[in-house]
Amino acid sequence: MFFHIVLERNMQLHPRHFGRNLRENLVSKLMKDVEGTCSGRHGFVVAITGIENVGKGLIRDGTGFVTFPVKYQCVVFRPFKGEILEAAVTMVNKMGFFAETGPVQIFVSNHLIPDDMEFQSGDMPNYTTSDGSVKIQKDSEVRLKIIGTRVDATEIFCIGTIKDDFLGVINDPTTA
Amino acid sequence: MSRGRGEEDDDIEDEEYEDEDQFLDDEDYDKDEDVGRGRGTSSKKRRRSVFIDDVAEEDDEDDEEDDDELYGGCGKKNSKAPRVASQFFDLEAQVDSDKEEEEDEGEDDFIVETGADLPEEDAGRRMHRHSLLVREDEQEDIEALERSIHARYARSSHTEYDEETTDVEQQALLPSVRDPKLWMVKCASGRERETAACLMQKYIDKGSELQIRSVIALDHLKNYIYVEADKEAHVREAVKGLCTLFAAKIMLVPIREMTDVLSVESKAVHLSRDTWVRMKVGTYKGDLAQVVDVDNVRQRVTVKLIPRIDLQALANKLEGREVAKKKAFVPPPRFMNVDEARALNIRVERKRNSITGDYFENIGGMLFKDGFLYKTVSMKSISAQDIKTTFDELEKFRSPSNNGEGEIVGLSTLFANRKKTHFMKGDAVIVVKGDLKNLKGWVEKVEEENVHIRPEMKGLPKTLAVNDKELCKSFEPGNHVKVVSGTKEGATGMVVKVEQHVLIILSETTKEHIRVFADDVVESSEVATGVTKIGDYELHDLVLLDNNSFGVIIRVESEAFQVLQGVPERPEASLVKLREIKCKLHKKFNLQDRYRNPVSVKDVVRILEGPCKGKQGPVEHIYKGVVFVYDRHHLENAGFICVKADSCCIVGGSRSNGNRNGDSFSRFSSFKTPPRVPPSPRRFARGDPPFDSGRRHGGGRGGHDALIGTTVKIR
Repeated sequence: MFFHIVLERNMQLHPRHFGRNLRENLVSKLMKDVEGTCSGRHGFVVAITGIENVGKGLIRDGTGFVTFPVKYQCVVFRPFKGEILEAAVTMVNKMGFFAETGPVQIFVSNHLIPDDMEFQSGDMPNYTTSDGSVKIQKDSEVRLKIIGTRVDATEIFCIGTIKDDFLGVINDPTTA
Repeated sequence: MSRGRGEEDDDIEDEEYEDEDQFLDDEDYDKDEDVGRGRGTSSKKRRRSVFIDDVAEEDDEDDEEDDDELYGGCGKKNSKAPRVASQFFDLEAQVDSDKEEEEDEGEDDFIVETGADLPEEDAGRRMHRHSLLVREDEQEDIEALERSIHARYARSSHTEYDEETTDVEQQALLPSVRDPKLWMVKCASGRERETAACLMQKYIDKGSELQIRSVIALDHLKNYIYVEADKEAHVREAVKGLCTLFAAKIMLVPIREMTDVLSVESKAVHLSRDTWVRMKVGTYKGDLAQVVDVDNVRQRVTVKLIPRIDLQALANKLEGREVAKKKAFVPPPRFMNVDEARALNIRVERKRNSITGDYFENIGGMLFKDGFLYKTVSMKSISAQDIKTTFDELEKFRSPSNNGEGEIVGLSTLFANRKKTHFMKGDAVIVVKGDLKNLKGWVEKVEEENVHIRPEMKGLPKTLAVNDKELCKSFEPGNHVKVVSGTKEGATGMVVKVEQHVLIILSETTKEHIRVFADDVVESSEVATGVTKIGDYELHDLVLLDNNSFGVIIRVESEAFQVLQGVPERPEASLVKLREIKCKLHKKFNLQDRYRNPVSVKDVVRILEGPCKGKQGPVEHIYKGVVFVYDRHHLENAGFICVKADSCCIVGGSRSNGNRNGDSFSRFSSFKTPPRVPPSPRRFARGDPPFDSGRRHGGGRGGHDALIGTTVKIR
């Protein structure tokens, strides 16, 4: 789920960047550092939308670096256990399939795929029902439910299921 | 009063008791010391715990008289309490109270205070004491009697007091140096009981001539019996003449170990149908077997095994062709195929077991059904405790007819007979057997046999004690767990599916499903990185192998590496041991791709031909004209693709050459370094077919260094 929240961070700046463009430098550095990272608590930081305020800088002893506490607004994405999302399938193999929604990769194991769908290997490996009506392959869109999440330093990995009601393929690229 | 101090406890008690009598005598009766004494003696005998030697008792009666007055003085407090005596009251406990008071007496100055300090106990005890005395002439005052009973039973809830005495009792019962010793004598095998009976008979015949005290024959200890006697000579004398005992081997049992001789831990092995056991003897030694029938009377069980039959040898034997020689090797386990047997002309009889009504094939005297061998063995030749099985073994046991169908029967018994499953406080568990089946809860406390759990359901008491054989760890899909024992130890992952005792986990490291038993797993947030290094070689290193071939390490296993060979045509991953690796390759090569763009490590290239056409990714290694590209979408070989340098082309700018445009903040140490401009070779744009030009432009747009400043000709 996406959230728009205010976060705070202490940014260190080298004196070479002081001057007229101090604030711009600070903001660009912040963006460089924060966008694209993820934390366990907030999830994946997608984009910074604005700076709320920049506090007074504190010069560090010993080095000339200055620390500014910056408050900024940003859009974050965090998957939750039990959440239902749509995702696009990126890879299918006999263990299950991988789907991505935004920066998050979700794996759906074959144990959590309805039993009537079977794996078909080949040029385009896919999961198909016995009568061929429903197919899950690369680039299909599926609605899935997240049953577990794990957050690393740099990425979030989830496990999902499509074995419940109202879950499964939404849009088939071959038919559409 | 110092007298109390120096003497043994017995005597103190004795004296106190004497005091008691005297005191009471003073109160109501004539000072009749003899009576008191006599009573004292008799009551002493009664009160006396059995283990304390009665001999010393008689000595100290005379000392006490003097103190009676004093004692009576301090004891006056409760003198009013009627000394109701019922002869049915037990006198033993009185000892304790007397002892206490004795110590009080010792410090004259403090008598009053101590009396105040322990008012309840003293009072209770005094009343207690009074009531416990046997006075034949005493009339029972009913109310007082009631009160005394109340007081007595109120006080008997002092459990620590009682336990102290039992502990002390136990300690006092242990053998000391003065007690008769235990001697271990070697005996003929299987004749221990008989020997013990013989010695007993000998004693009956000879009477006290035989100076041994007792004989012990233990069921679980073969070849030895124990004889209790004071001297070894007595043992020898007793043993003389018995052919089953060997007097040459008489050993003394140390005092500390004497109690262990007689303490036996009975391990009740629950052998029931469908239990998993392992064979201890014979050709099937170590094999897993399933119990089919238990015969407790004859101590035999019928088990189901995967047969290890060499049909050829059997055929030969039955037809008398060859002499059956002792086989050095054991045939591998394989299901019995009746048709094969028939083909070899072995006689196969179809018999019907009258008890179960099943049909068995009788081949060479052995019973087979569904491919399994059914064998009846004695209980001693199987071990039922702590059986650890692997999944493969259990898989094999699924009847060959229904593959992949149904639960593996008897898993719960497998777990029931396992050693303690290391339940820890806070584990989520589920009850799998008994009335409370399917109740979920959390572990609060773990004891020897029982585990206390806090159940999930309302309306139940806060904690329930459940036998640990009936519990199993429970997990939900989505839990992050770590495997702590078994073959897959060290793996971490997320639970995908739960099937009673078996969990399916998606491993972090290999992104594959692994099946483990719930017992072997704990919940944890640790993420295993897997083994990435053995010796000097790490995952994804380019290495030179023995035979001058080279490759990239794509997987590190326990003892070896999986290496993707540097042969572009055939992507082949081979298993290579550590010692087959000569060295790591570091040299930096510079190759050119199809369009003569220099390719170096970390550049992104796209593959233009071959089976992996269309894939792209950063270059990890370059060596001898071959490029290793890593594509995370590629499923095989951990994403590594090996191609010739000229079947790929570079995509985007060269990364290894420093900053991309406008990227000054990425490295504070470097100022805006201008992109490196190599001396631009005078190159002409080759006549590329039109479809390639797009890519070239793409390459050019990315700031491809080599092109800037060159003169080009547009066709």
